[in-house]
Amino acid sequence: MFELLESGFQFLTWGNALMIVIGLTLIYLAIAKNMEPLLLLPIGFGIMLVNLPMGGLMNYEYQLKAEQPGIVSNISVEIGRFFERDTTVVQTDSGAVASPVHGRVKELNVKQNQKVEPGDVIALIITTEQTDQSKIPTKPVGLLSRFFAYGIMWQILPPLIFLCLGALTDFGPMLANPKTMLLGAAAQFGVYFAFFLAIFFGFDLNEASSIGIIGGAEGPTTIYVTAMLAPHIIGATAVACYSYMALVPLILPPVIKLLTTKKERGIYMKPQLRDVSKLERILFPLVTTIIVVLFVPDSAPLIGCFMVGNLFRESGVVGRLNTTAQTVFIDIMTIFLTLSIGGTMAAENCLQVKTLLILVLGVISFASAAAAGVILAKIMNLFLKEKINPMIGAAGVSAVPMSARVVQVMGQKENKRNFLLMHAMGPNVAGAIGAAIAGGVFIGVLYR
Amino acid sequence: MADMGSIDMGLAFKIAGGGFALVFILLTLLYFTVWLTKVITEKITKGKDK
Repeated sequence: MFELLESGFQFLTWGNALMIVIGLTLIYLAIAKNMEPLLLLPIGFGIMLVNLPMGGLMNYEYQLKAEQPGIVSNISVEIGRFFERDTTVVQTDSGAVASPVHGRVKELNVKQNQKVEPGDVIALIITTEQTDQSKIPTKPVGLLSRFFAYGIMWQILPPLIFLCLGALTDFGPMLANPKTMLLGAAAQFGVYFAFFLAIFFGFDLNEASSIGIIGGAEGPTTIYVTAMLAPHIIGATAVACYSYMALVPLILPPVIKLLTTKKERGIYMKPQLRDVSKLERILFPLVTTIIVVLFVPDSAPLIGCFMVGNLFRESGVVGRLNTTAQTVFIDIMTIFLTLSIGGTMAAENCLQVKTLLILVLGVISFASAAAAGVILAKIMNLFLKEKINPMIGAAGVSAVPMSARVVQVMGQKENKRNFLLMHAMGPNVAGAIGAAIAGGVFIGVLYR
Repeated sequence: MADMGSIDMGLAFKIAGGGFALVFILLTLLYFTVWLTKVITEKITKGKDK
């Protein structure tokens, strides 16, 4: 009778328990500390759900097929028992048939002494592993794995969220003071610094690109690039990106203080930015799309969606589309995206040294991005008559609007007359464009 | 994870150097475009006011 009652207890591992604690920690940070609650709460819950065994939410089905003809001499795994990657499932007289994924056998289609031909399905394996579909095709059979496969791996959710972010973004401060775009560009240094560090630590080019793009501080861009280049680390990169966006008030200030003097931090910037006309606001998304996509065609989904969302906002004639993009639509997309990202963090997928390395490299990419922005601002001041406060360079880390708010708070501490928020919004939003361009370049060179 | 010796470092430098340069070039181009748009818009507005 008890065989019918398959509970999760018997399959719960220490790894699952640890990941459940991590998920609960993210939920605590979201609710009690109000840290990016729209993102961390569903991600944390997704992590918890996928680590409760036998839930099946993030399951994929893999058909293990025979590659050579032979006769089955031994069946090496039990149905339902978890095994690691590359474990021999059956032994034949022509060799071992091993599973390229970790998981459990759901159905065994062969018996001892049975003859198999190439292409015969030996076993149906259930796994939570994110695989390169061109090499190890799997079929999503769980709720979250379907969200992930059809929302993220089909590159639908990230560009649509970027569309909504475009509708929420005011490019006015950047258009009023366009030299701040260069600070957003400089901040992308963090992407490439982390890219090289990742290679140094043994990641391949695709993984290093996915880790580097964390420094762009754009969640949809990170998820989009990682889904295309290194889907097996998408959980780590996405959680790193969103967590560090929430931790920007802790990451940016030490970097800024290290690279600037008190006098520099007190540089006054006139609060009044010039008025930006409606025509400029309408032309900007159109011109940006044309120029950027012609140069970097692979950035088209991200830049195109970002700019069409912004055009919804600035045109003034599609109020319903604008309102929908800014409210209900982004909320729906966020729910699908964040739950499925949390679902990629099953213990067997992410409790590895490489996950810890990704988290460390992520914070380095954020810090170096901020540093590069500050340094460029200081260099620009050598040539500018009207000096810019170098702190706004750190807002090139495009966690909008958190980075700009951090700069505003630090600016007020040094000089109560200084209102740097709108000045910092310039590099803040320019960084989003820079990150999308950087992501497009990675995809253009490496995606096959 | 890959051994650093098996990574094409030439390609890595091309991706990083080329990518970073492209980000700068495009944002500089956009900077110039925004300035040009502002100048043209101001001329159009002045023309209309006359």
